[in-house]
Amino acid sequence: MRFDDNMDDRQSIGGGSANSSSDFVSYFHFHHHENGDLLTLVQVRKLYKMLEDPSYSQVVRWGDDGGSFVVLENERFTKSILPKHFKHSNFASFVRQLNKYDFHKVRHNNEENGHSPYGSGAWEFKHPEFKANNKDSLDNIRRKAPAPRKPPQVVDEAAPTQQMDLVNTQLVATQQQLQQLQQRYEELNIHHSILTQELMNVQKTVVNHEHVMQNVMSYLHSVDARQRRDSKIGGPFAHTEENNVPPANVDPAQQQISPLEDEPASPLQHATKLLHDLNADVQLNYKNLEHMSDLHNRNGAISTPPPDGSRGHARAPTSAGSSSSMGYAKLHGDTEAIVYPVGQSNGIDPMYSEHIHNIPYPMPSKENEAVDSRMSAPAARKKSTQVDPGWVRPPQILLVEDDPTCRRIGSKFLYSFRCAIDSAFDGLEAVNKMNAGSKYDLVLMDIIMPNLDGVSATHLIRQFDHTPIIAMTSNIRSDDISMYFQHGMNDVLPKPFTKEGLLNMLEKHLGHLKHMPDGIEPMAPHQGSSIPQSSAAQSLKDESSPAQSPSTISNWQSPGQFPGISPTHAAAPHQFMHPMHAGYSQEQSPVQFQTPHTPLGAPRQMQHRRQISEIGGEDISSDAKRQRMYDQANPLGMNPMHPGRPR
Amino acid sequence: MASHLAEESETGSAGLPDSGDSLDLSTFEQILEMDDDEDEREFSRSIVYGFFEQAEATFGKMDKSLSAAESQKHQGENELANLSSLGHFLKGSSATLGMTKVKDSCEKIQHYGAHKDDAGQPTNMEDTLLLKKIKATVATVKVEYKEAERILKQFYHDPDAHTA
Repeated sequence: MRFDDNMDDRQSIGGGSANSSSDFVSYFHFHHHENGDLLTLVQVRKLYKMLEDPSYSQVVRWGDDGGSFVVLENERFTKSILPKHFKHSNFASFVRQLNKYDFHKVRHNNEENGHSPYGSGAWEFKHPEFKANNKDSLDNIRRKAPAPRKPPQVVDEAAPTQQMDLVNTQLVATQQQLQQLQQRYEELNIHHSILTQELMNVQKTVVNHEHVMQNVMSYLHSVDARQRRDSKIGGPFAHTEENNVPPANVDPAQQQISPLEDEPASPLQHATKLLHDLNADVQLNYKNLEHMSDLHNRNGAISTPPPDGSRGHARAPTSAGSSSSMGYAKLHGDTEAIVYPVGQSNGIDPMYSEHIHNIPYPMPSKENEAVDSRMSAPAARKKSTQVDPGWVRPPQILLVEDDPTCRRIGSKFLYSFRCAIDSAFDGLEAVNKMNAGSKYDLVLMDIIMPNLDGVSATHLIRQFDHTPIIAMTSNIRSDDISMYFQHGMNDVLPKPFTKEGLLNMLEKHLGHLKHMPDGIEPMAPHQGSSIPQSSAAQSLKDESSPAQSPSTISNWQSPGQFPGISPTHAAAPHQFMHPMHAGYSQEQSPVQFQTPHTPLGAPRQMQHRRQISEIGGEDISSDAKRQRMYDQANPLGMNPMHPGRPR
Repeated sequence: MASHLAEESETGSAGLPDSGDSLDLSTFEQILEMDDDEDEREFSRSIVYGFFEQAEATFGKMDKSLSAAESQKHQGENELANLSSLGHFLKGSSATLGMTKVKDSCEKIQHYGAHKDDAGQPTNMEDTLLLKKIKATVATVKVEYKEAERILKQFYHDPDAHTA
């Protein structure tokens, strides 16, 4: 029998398994549809006749109510009955024909759960005019109007494939961009957290120093008043008293401001005025920063605002407008929403592992670049990691990790970076080790561990030690990160960590242990720029031996006379005022942080180390250059900021 | 030195041809790089086989926890927390080895056990439903693990590889 190509097309579109078995019905109907109804009648009568044959009743029969017919056994029907009556053995064809005559398959609720009364494999078909014992109504069955054909199908199918290619390429490129953005964003996020935290710490220190200074000033005012009163009373007394009081206690501040010792009230006034001005500045900045933090919180970037307002996302106080800050927060929200689901931090990495391999057609150049960069990445990493980082001595690292696999791999990586490694199973063991006096240069701390988690362990360790502690965790949402920082952690290494990430972390926090190629002494920065060398040396001496203020040793009055103010504090404001005038960049002056009054209990020393290491690393800032000058000029080798540092 | 390393990288990836997405090669190669001897691969082998033991032990604990939860209805809450921490535990090491699929499933177990949905958002699903989801995920992760194990054993020329 001849078969029609067009017909085959139709069948394949209809979704059935079109094969070329004889299907004269469709042949006729397609080419002679003006006579279609007559032929329909022929076909339908055939069907009717077939159903009247009682020998088929196990395979195909009328439905129970006579309003439908049921194919009970699909296979036998297709193999033995269809060929006899319809000259083909294609059940799908049969069903298609029925559909053309407007028969419908009877569905029992949904096909999964509904049970046909004729058994689960039964096919029941129905037409309102096709009834048992009603041959006449068969005449009313008409072929449905043929569905409009779609001649440009071939073209249609080709075009979408090309478009799909294009769209896919764009999608991949976009995802790549998103991922880069996300990585960049996370990086910036961490940096922001660090910066803000440090700024907050600096500000709080500043405020503390302010209070100390105010105390000193008010005390000095009282001393000054008494002195002048005394000097009115007696000649010989006046002389000694005058020499006594100001240099011993006011010394650092006053000498700096005004050396005119014959007019004792004037330096005091000057200092008071300076203090007043300074105070205003600090207040302004402080408010500004808090404002930034608030803005970020309000914009809903993070649901739980941190308790002390030291959010990780505030902008630096110098970057002005609230509008820009709002914009940033908005961006922050958006990026998070869009990028997070495909991000690496979520463990889904469609860019590299799944997506690319599942795209069935060759990707254009952009794609290849992505693959290339992935391929070249490990090689580059290898080169960088196998190189000895150049430590002055092997850094002592404590690796706190409950998972043996991670611990061993982490240890191995660290070992390849020429580090000396100690490990602890959980936070408790880590705290015990450090409490027992073990000294480390860096602690790598898992967060979720049995017995004592990493955050709690850090909190405890911070009561007595300021070694840098890096959180190693897969929980790196920004509110997690800000919590880590609040409890005294210094940085975050996302898990699963890479060798590259680990090495970066070491270089960042252990820069002071590295050989400096250009001759910068790693421990260098003793002083901020504007502090005269002599006073620097003096303040250092003040710390080690309070009584040795150089010009007035003999006149030193017992510290007991100054309740609550230690000599260290007396020196501190002096150190501190000048950096303040020069701006925050001066926080590298280590001396100003030596005060034991650290309001947050925050890891001051660590922050210094980090800054130092940053100087030592990529970016030699102008501050670093200044420090280099000082290093050369002042090779004291004193390092007041690392009293507890292991050597 | 550079050429030696490049060579190592090539053998590293060439040795793992059919890993598909069961194993993230760039992650796993980091560990292979740590081997002193590319033929013996003592370090990475011991890591990987150590992980096998760890994984089997963890699966055992998960099964035990699941059946305990089923037999004692009131202990469901405790067992959920236990399952969550078991999931977290295996997540870390599987991620470090680059077993992406195993890692993702472990993360799901961790989430369900902590009353969270797949995406880690808090949910008020009932304990029994959470346990059911965990049970299904444990079954999945075992299959995913077996596949990764098969690939790795092949890589290490383990005679078990073909029977596994």
